[in-house]
Amino acid sequence: MLKVFKYTLIDLARNRFVLGYALLMLLVAQGLFALEGDPTKALLSLVQVVMALVPLIALVFTVVYMYDTLEFTQLLAVQPMRRSAILGGQLLALAAALLLAQAIGLGLPLLVHSPTVAALVLSLSGSALVLVFAALGALIALKQREKARGVGVALAIWFLFVLVYDALLMWGMFTLSDYPIEPFVVPLAGINPIDLARIMVMLQVDLAAMMGYSGAIYKNFFGSVGGTIVAALILSLWVAVPVLFAFRVFRRKDL
Amino acid sequence: MTRALQLLILIHFTGVAQARTWTHKGGSGGTLREGIERASPGDTILVSGTVSEGTIRVDKTIVLLGKVDAVIDGGGMGDVLYITGDHVVVRNFTILGSRHSNLDDQAGIKVNECRGVVIADNVLDKCFFAIYLSGAKDALVEGNTVLGKPGEEDHMANGIHLWKCNNATIRNNRVEYHRDGIYFEFVTDSHITGNTTKHNLRYGLHFMFSHRDAYEDNHFEDNGAGVAVMFSRDIAMRRNRFLANRGASAYGLLLKEINDGEIIGNTFQDNTTGIMIDGCNRINVHDNVFRLNGWALRLFANAIDCDFRGNTFAGNTFDVSTNGSLIPNTMNGNYWDRYAGYDLDRDGYGDVPHRPLGFFTLLVEMQPYAMVFSRSLFVSLLDRAERLIPSLTPESMKDDKPLMRPPVRGGRSSAKLNERPFPYSTLGIFHALFFIPAGPWQDEKCRMMNEKWRKPERSMAMVNTCIFPFPNLPHTHG
Repeated sequence: MLKVFKYTLIDLARNRFVLGYALLMLLVAQGLFALEGDPTKALLSLVQVVMALVPLIALVFTVVYMYDTLEFTQLLAVQPMRRSAILGGQLLALAAALLLAQAIGLGLPLLVHSPTVAALVLSLSGSALVLVFAALGALIALKQREKARGVGVALAIWFLFVLVYDALLMWGMFTLSDYPIEPFVVPLAGINPIDLARIMVMLQVDLAAMMGYSGAIYKNFFGSVGGTIVAALILSLWVAVPVLFAFRVFRRKDL
Repeated sequence: MTRALQLLILIHFTGVAQARTWTHKGGSGGTLREGIERASPGDTILVSGTVSEGTIRVDKTIVLLGKVDAVIDGGGMGDVLYITGDHVVVRNFTILGSRHSNLDDQAGIKVNECRGVVIADNVLDKCFFAIYLSGAKDALVEGNTVLGKPGEEDHMANGIHLWKCNNATIRNNRVEYHRDGIYFEFVTDSHITGNTTKHNLRYGLHFMFSHRDAYEDNHFEDNGAGVAVMFSRDIAMRRNRFLANRGASAYGLLLKEINDGEIIGNTFQDNTTGIMIDGCNRINVHDNVFRLNGWALRLFANAIDCDFRGNTFAGNTFDVSTNGSLIPNTMNGNYWDRYAGYDLDRDGYGDVPHRPLGFFTLLVEMQPYAMVFSRSLFVSLLDRAERLIPSLTPESMKDDKPLMRPPVRGGRSSAKLNERPFPYSTLGIFHALFFIPAGPWQDEKCRMMNEKWRKPERSMAMVNTCIFPFPNLPHTHG
C-alpha cells in the first residue's frame, strides 16, 4: 500500500492540475487580500469562494484522475497484492496531494494575512470538504464505467449540494413556516457537508449576527463543544461511508 | 477641583466665618456624625481610616475629603452617605455596604434636593444603587469607579442614577456590573462625557424622558443591551464607542420615540444590532462607522425624516433591515462595502444608486431560521438577482450617492479624498491573474492614463484599457 501511495503521489506531484489548483487558490486568496483593505472583509469573500470552488475541484479532479489512471490500476491489479491496498494507496495519495495543494493555496495566504481563529476554522472546514468530495469522487469514478458519465454525475452531485439542497431546504422552511419546524432545521442544515462547513465558519465570522434571535438555535447547537464534535463526526461519516462503499465496489469490480 | 475653589471663594465673599479644617480618624475619638455636627458650613473634614456608623447625613455645605485609606462602610443599614446640603463635596472615599432593598432605593451616595454637589474620585464597591441623585441641580460626578456585584436583575440596581436632575455633569467614571451603568430619568440639560461602562446587566446608559442632554466620547462595551434612549428629545450622541453588545435583544444603541436627536461620529462594532430605530423623528445619523455587526441598522417603518449621511458600513452581516415598504427617510452619501457600482465621472460618488436592503435580509426578517443560508452560493445568487430587478425590496430604500471610499474622520471630506489618482498599483494583481508580464511601457501608459482621468472626457473604453492593457486590441481605441 505504501508503494502505491508513493508512486501515485509522485505521479500527482507531476500533475499540472494539482499545481494549477494550488496556484489558482493562491491567486484568488492573495488577490482578495490585496484588493480588500480589510482582512476580515477579504476573509468573508474567501468563504464564499472556498465553499463553492473547493468541493467542485476536489470532486471533478478525483473523478478525472481515477479514470486517467485506470490502466495503471489494471497493471497494479495483476500484481500479487490486495485490491484494498491498491485503492487505499491511491486514495491516500489523492487526499494528501489535494490537502497539500490546499494548504499552499489557501492556508498560506490565510496564515500571512489573517492569522485568526476564523481563518483556522475556514482552512479546517475547507480541508474537510476536500476529503469529503474526494471520497465521493472516488466512489462515482468506480461506479461509472464511462468517464463522461462519471464527470456528469460529479457535476450533478456538486450542484445538488451547493445549490439545489439549499433551495429545497429554504422552500421547505417557507412553506412550513406555520409549523414548529425548529427540531428539523438544525439536523437538516447539518446533513449537507457544504452547509455544515459553512455554518462552522459562519459561527466565527458572523458571530454578532448569530448571537441574535435568528441565529440562536444554530449557535446554541453548533457553537457548543458537543455540537463541534457532532459536526466533526458528521463530516468524518461523509468521508468514511463513500470510502467504504468505494472499497466494496473496487473489490468486486471487473477491471 | 475648580468647583472646590469656586466654593471657597464663594464662602469667603459671603462672609461665612473662617473655614476650618477638621481631621477625623475612623474608630477613634468620637464619630464622624459628631464631627459633621460640630463643623460649620464651609469647613473641611479630612477623614482617614474606616468609618462604620450606619447612614451618615450631610445637611450643610462641607467638604468631605478622604485620605488614601478612607473607607465609609454602611454596614448594610441603608444609604451610606445621605447628602441634602448644597455644594457638598465628597472626594476620595471608598464606600461600601449599602442595604439591598427593592422597597426604598438604598444607595452608596444619595443626594437629595440640593444644588452643586461634587462627588469625585470615589470607589463604590458592591453598593445597591451606587450614586443616586434625586432632584439635584448642577451636580458633578467625576472620576468615580463604580463596581457592582454580578447577580440577577432583581437584586441589582443602577450604578449612577439620576432622577429629576438638571444641568448635571457625569464625567470620566467607570461603571461595571450594575443593572444600568448610568440611568437618566427626567434629567435635562446634562452632559455625560468620557465614561466607560462595561458588563452591566441591562443597559450601559439608559435615558427616559430626558431632554436636551448630550453624551460624548463614552465607551460602552459588553452590556446586556448597550445604550437605550427612550421617550426623549434633543439628545446629542457624539463620538461614543458601542462595542460587543450581543444577544437576541441586544443593541449597540436602541432608540425608541426620540425626536430631534443627532448621532454623529460614533463607532458601532461587533454588536448584534448596531442601531435600532423605532418610532423616531428627525434624527441625524452622520459620519458613524458600523463594522462587523450582525445588523448595522434596523430602521423601523415608523421612523420619519431621519437622515443618514457619511456613514461607513463595512463587514456587517446585514447593513440595513426594515419591517415595511415605506421609507420616509433619506440615506445619501454613505459608504457601503457591498456597493458594486462604478464612478465614471470621478466625483467620489457612485453613478448608480445602492440598495442596502438585501433580499436575504428580508428573507431572514420573514423566517429567522433562514439565517443558516448566510453567505451561501444560493443566497448570493438570489441577492444579486434582486439587486438587478428589485421586486421585494422597497423601492425607496436606496442611497443615490454612495461613496466610493470610506470617509476619513476628522477634517477632509470624502469627496476630496477621491481626487487622488486611480490606484494603478492594484492593476498588478490583474497582471498576475492573467499572466501578463508588466513591461516598462506600462509605467508610461499608467502615467498617461492618470493625466487623462483628471480631464472630463472619460469613457468605458478607458476603463477597459486600464484593466486589460493589451495595446493592439480594438477595445483600447478610445
